[in-house]
Amino acid sequence: MRWFAFFSLILVQCSLSAAHSGEEYHEELKLRPLPDGKLAARFAFTTLLKGAIPRAPTNLTVNDESQHYTLFPLAMGQLLREYAITELHLTLNAGKWDYDRWGYPEEPGVGSGAELWTWMGDGAPTSIDERWKAIQNAHAGLFCASLGSMDTQRTTSPTRAFPPTGDLPRLPAPHVHRLRHATLPAEHVCTENLTPFLKLLPCPAHAGIAALLAPHKVFDADWHGLGVHVRWRAGKGVELVMTVQAVFDPVRMSAERKRDWSFHSVFDRTIPRSCPVATTSLIHVELPPPGDGSYTLNPAPSTANQAVATFSISKDLPELDVTMKWGEESRFAYPLDASSTPLSDFSVQRTLKGSSQTHGQLSIVIRNNRPTELSVLYLETMPWHVEFYLHTLRITGPDGQQCNDLFSNMTYTPPVPHAQPAMLQAMLTLPPLTTLRLTMDARKSFLRYTEHPPDAQRGWDLPPAVFVTQSASGGASKRVYTPALLVDLATPDFSMPYNVIIMSCTLIALIFGSLFNILTRRFVVVKVDGNVPKVQ
Amino acid sequence: MAFELAFAVLLRLVLVLSPLRRLLKDDSQLSSPLTSYSRLREGIYLFREGINPYSGGTFRHSPLFLALFSTVIPDSEAFAAILWACVDVLGAWALVRIWRARGRVGTSKRDSLIAALYLLNPYIFLPSLSLSTSTFDTTLQLVSLMFAAQGQASASLLTLAFTAHLSLPSLLLLPPTVLLLLADPYSHLASPRPFNGKISKGLPLFAEFSAYFCSLVLASTVVSDGSGWIINSWGAGLLLPDLTPNPGLWWYFFTEMFDHFRPFFLMIFSVHLVIYVAPLCIKFQHDPLYAAFLLLGVLGIFKPYPTLSDPGLFLSLISLFPETYPHLRYPIVTTLLHLHAFLLLPLFHHLWIATGTGNANFFYASTLVFGIANGGALLDCVWAGLRVAMGEEREGYVIVQE
Repeated sequence: MRWFAFFSLILVQCSLSAAHSGEEYHEELKLRPLPDGKLAARFAFTTLLKGAIPRAPTNLTVNDESQHYTLFPLAMGQLLREYAITELHLTLNAGKWDYDRWGYPEEPGVGSGAELWTWMGDGAPTSIDERWKAIQNAHAGLFCASLGSMDTQRTTSPTRAFPPTGDLPRLPAPHVHRLRHATLPAEHVCTENLTPFLKLLPCPAHAGIAALLAPHKVFDADWHGLGVHVRWRAGKGVELVMTVQAVFDPVRMSAERKRDWSFHSVFDRTIPRSCPVATTSLIHVELPPPGDGSYTLNPAPSTANQAVATFSISKDLPELDVTMKWGEESRFAYPLDASSTPLSDFSVQRTLKGSSQTHGQLSIVIRNNRPTELSVLYLETMPWHVEFYLHTLRITGPDGQQCNDLFSNMTYTPPVPHAQPAMLQAMLTLPPLTTLRLTMDARKSFLRYTEHPPDAQRGWDLPPAVFVTQSASGGASKRVYTPALLVDLATPDFSMPYNVIIMSCTLIALIFGSLFNILTRRFVVVKVDGNVPKVQ
Repeated sequence: MAFELAFAVLLRLVLVLSPLRRLLKDDSQLSSPLTSYSRLREGIYLFREGINPYSGGTFRHSPLFLALFSTVIPDSEAFAAILWACVDVLGAWALVRIWRARGRVGTSKRDSLIAALYLLNPYIFLPSLSLSTSTFDTTLQLVSLMFAAQGQASASLLTLAFTAHLSLPSLLLLPPTVLLLLADPYSHLASPRPFNGKISKGLPLFAEFSAYFCSLVLASTVVSDGSGWIINSWGAGLLLPDLTPNPGLWWYFFTEMFDHFRPFFLMIFSVHLVIYVAPLCIKFQHDPLYAAFLLLGVLGIFKPYPTLSDPGLFLSLISLFPETYPHLRYPIVTTLLHLHAFLLLPLFHHLWIATGTGNANFFYASTLVFGIANGGALLDCVWAGLRVAMGEEREGYVIVQE
C-alpha cells in the first residue's frame, strides 16, 4: 500500500510537471557609469519556464491543469494561465529619462507613471476587453498600483509601436492576437510596489543580486523604475523578466563630490552570499572610454574586455562589494558640453502651448543628432480630454519652410467623448542634423463634474508620446518616450449641482408657465369704474 | 436695398479678412460643436485621409456638408468667407420676400429696413464671421418659410427637410409650415378666425416631407458609408456628449447633473421642446406664420446646442410683424436684458476660460440672463400677437386676461 502511494505521488508529480520540462533562473546586474557622473543600474531577474506554451484562449472553457512551479512565481503563473496572456509588460517608473545624457536605457519602457500592455489571443468565451480589465485588476492587486483605472478611456491598440517582443503561438483561424495598451502618467512608484515585486523572486533580499535592492536607496535615485515582462520564446518557453532600473548620482551622495561608487555607497548593501537556485548570477560593469581618467575596479573581475568587466557570483564567493574609484580625481568636473554631444540619435521636446482652457497647440521639436537620415514612428495616445485638429498639423524645417511630406503613413483613431482616447501613429522622416517643428492645434474638452478628479485644479496628466526608431538594417528598434504633459481643463463649480438644477429649472418653468398662462386665458375688457366686467 | 446688401457683404468681407476672424473662429458662443468650422475642416480632412470622421466625437456635422465641402466647394477660408456672406444675403433676401408675401406688396420702403435688421443683427452677423454653419441652418429656415409664404409646397418642404436634417430640432417647424401652406401668409392677427384650410390636405404634405427627409437620410448614409453619422450628429442633440459652453441652458445643467439622473433629464429636456408645438399652432391657427415665428423663439431658448444665431433669427423675424409693436408690454426691459447678456456673455466667458479670474458660475449666470431676455421677448410676442385682436383700449376700460 505504501509503495502504491509513493508511486501514485510520483505519477502525479510527473503529470503536473508535464506542461513544462524545467525551470531556470538567471540574475544579472548591469552598471553603467554615465558621462555626467551618474550611475545607471539595471537589475534583471529572468525565470524561464522551459517548454511551456501560453494557454490557448479557446481552452479557457475547460479546466486548466494544476500549476506547480519551483522557481516561477505562482501568482504570476496563475494570472498568465487564468487570462491566457501571451505577452505582458508592466512598468512603473518615476522621473524623466534623459536620453541625450544617458543614452538609451537597457529596458526601453521608461515612460513616467505606469504602463501596461499585453498581447492576447482572442477566441475565448470572454472578450479581450473583459480579460484586459481583469488583468489590470489582478496586477493592481499583485503590485499595489492603481492600474484598475486604466479603463477604456485610456486603452488603445498601437500595434505599430508595440509589436510583440517574443513570439506569438499560432491560433486556429480566424482568431488572432490583439494588443491592449494603457498608460497612467500620474501613477507614482514607491516602496509598496517594490515589496510585492521582491516577493516574487526566488531569492528575495537576502541572497544574490536582489540583496542590493534597498528601497530607501532605490527610491532616492534620480530616476527609478520597476518592470515585469512576460514573453514566449518559441522552442524555449515562457520567460519572465523582472527588472529594476535606476540612475544613481554618486556625486550627490559623496561628501567630496566625487563620482567614485561602491555597492555600499550606492545601494547601502553588499551581496552577502550567492543565490543557490540561480543558474547564472552575473554583474557587468561597463567600463568608461579610455579618455575618461584612470580608474580602479575592486575586486578584480572574473572576466574583462575593453568595454565590460564581468563578476560572476559563485557559491564559494565571500561577501561582494564592487568598488570603482577614479583615484586621480579630487572632485568630479561636470562635462560642460554634455548637450552638444547627445548620446541619443534624436532629441525630442514636446509641449502643450496656450493659456486658454478651450484651445491649445501641441508642439514637438525633434532634432536628428546623426549625419544620416532617420525614420521614426511617432505614436501619440491622447485621452479624449484633449482633441487634436489634424488638419492644422504643420511640420516646419529650420528655415521656416513647410515640409508636411516628412509626415507619412498615418493611422488615426479619433477620440470619442467619455469613452475612447485618440491614437495617432505616423512615420516621420528626419533629415540629417536638422531640427523639425511639428505643431497641431488642440481643443480641450469640458468634463462632467463627476468626471473630474478630487484635485481638479491640478490638471490632467497626459501620456507620453512614443517615438520608435526604424533601423533600415533590420537591427532592434528603440522606443523613446517623451515626458508626460499636464493639461489644465476648465472646471465647473463643484458645489453647484443643486443650485444649477434649481435655477435652470426655474427659468424653464417660468417661461413655460408664463407662455401657457398667456395661451390658455381669455382676454376680457374690464370697466375700470367698479362696475361688473363685460365679457367679450 | 441693393446698397444695404452690398454694404453688408463688404463689411463681412473686410472683417472676415481682418484679425478679428481668428479671435472669433473657435468662440463657443458663435459656433457650437455641431456647427463649428474648425470641426468641419477636421471632418473633411479625415474623410480625405480615408478615416471615417464619424468614428470619433470631433466631427458632428451632417454628411451633406461633408459631401458638399469635399467635392464642390473648395477648401479655402477666403472662399468660405465669401460663401458665408452670400448665404447671409440669401437669408436677408428670403426675409424680405416673406415680408412682401405677408403684406401683399411689391417693393416697399420697409424692405431695406428688414434686410438691414437681418444683416446687421450682431447675433446673425458674428456667427457668420466665425464661419459657423448655423448660418446655413438659419438661411435654409428662412428660405423654407419664404417658399411656404409664397405657396410653393414642394420647394418649402424640401428646404425644411434640409433644415431639419442639418439641425434636428427644426423638425418642430413642420406643423406650422404645413398649416402655412394650407392657409395664407397674410396677417390675421387682428381678426382671429378658425382655421379655414382643409386639414386633410395636410397629409400628402406630411408624406411629401417624409419622402424628402428619408431620401436625405439615405443620401447621407451613402455618403458617409454607414449610419454612424446619426448617433454622432443627431444623437449629440439628444445625448449631449459635448459639454462645451454655449449661450443655451443645456450645457451647464448637464455638466452639473448627477449621473443617475442624466438620462431622465435628457429625456425631459428633449420632450419639453415638443410640448410647445401643438398649443402654439392651435392658438395661432389663424396666422401660422406667427406660430412658426414663436416656435423659432422657443428653439432659440431651449435648443440643445444653440448659437447666437438661433435667438438672432427670432429677433430678426420680429421685423415682419409691425402690427404687434403697439401691444408689446416691456420692449425696453427686454432690450436692456439683451444688451446686458450680450455684453456679459463674452466678458464672463473670457474671465473664466482665458484669464482664470472668474469661474463657470459667472458665465452660467449670464446665460441665465440671456435666457430671461429671450424668454421675455418670446412671452411679449405671444402676448402682443393675441392682444392685437382686442383692438384699442377705450377710456374707462382696460383689457386684461381672465
